[in-house]
Amino acid sequence: MNLSDDGEKRIRGYLFMLENSLRTFLKRDVVADAVREVESHIRERVRETEPMPNERDALNRLLDAIGPPHRLARAYSAELAVDEAVSSGRLWSTARAVFALARNTTEGFAVGVALFTGYLTSAAFLLVALAKPIFPANVGVRWVDGEFRGAGLEPFVGPETVMTHGWEVAAICAVVGGLLLWLTHRGTRRYLRRVSERRRRAAFG
Amino acid sequence: MTISTDSWTEQMRRGGLELAILLAVAPGTRYGLEIIRHLQELTDLVVTEGTIYPILGRLTRDGWLQAEWQASAAHPRKYYRLTSQGRRRLRLMVEEWRTFAAKIDRLVDAADKGSDA
Repeated sequence: MNLSDDGEKRIRGYLFMLENSLRTFLKRDVVADAVREVESHIRERVRETEPMPNERDALNRLLDAIGPPHRLARAYSAELAVDEAVSSGRLWSTARAVFALARNTTEGFAVGVALFTGYLTSAAFLLVALAKPIFPANVGVRWVDGEFRGAGLEPFVGPETVMTHGWEVAAICAVVGGLLLWLTHRGTRRYLRRVSERRRRAAFG
Repeated sequence: MTISTDSWTEQMRRGGLELAILLAVAPGTRYGLEIIRHLQELTDLVVTEGTIYPILGRLTRDGWLQAEWQASAAHPRKYYRLTSQGRRRLRLMVEEWRTFAAKIDRLVDAADKGSDA
């Protein structure tokens, strides 16, 4: 079957949607390879299809057999995003895999929220520690008129405020932040490994 | 009843698909659509054609398949072949499958005899 301009546009649209969906969680070269392979499949199916009066129906049937782009992207996410994160251990791959799971499963969403909280809290602690050398007078234990008011980073230190134990607070924040980041990342990788193993078990019965 | 049977069939199909793909490329190199055609000819395991590709991607990443793009007259095709690691894995999977199927068959026979008696 030779495609008209409209038919060609329909295929380009399908591949564009697939590419956009895949880009949210897979590396650029993996996406390019996947889209190229699906395009090769479509081109061959089109070539072997007998010419039909209604090209649109024929194309719809052909693309339906492959599956909607978002469902195909979900299948890629399930098969590749998690495995890539487990094998590479890189922060960005891990984040992409957690994001993909959070988008697709209830369990993934719950775990994603917990992990996001862990990363955010550890980042907050580390930020306080990093702020100390830059804003030495704004980190420490805060006292107002001799009364304890908290500890950490204080953006506006008024004349009645006294900041003490700055370096101790920074050191504690660095240790707690680092430990929390390590624990959260370890937890994330353990969760992804478990998901990967579970999927493999499901695949092998 | 129908829903639970469908879900069970779906799980079984998903479990068998990976083995079926490896078996499809066992005799020699094949590209994605060829694998799909082969499976559609002999089984009803492929419901959505596109879902084969992510599985092929993972099997390649796991080192069980090797993939290579080849230019053909009309358009390039990505061909897959079993690696030696994949061949060993396939042998184990086939053994597992046969043992499992034999056990289930024995159970089915025992249940049939029980209901006949």
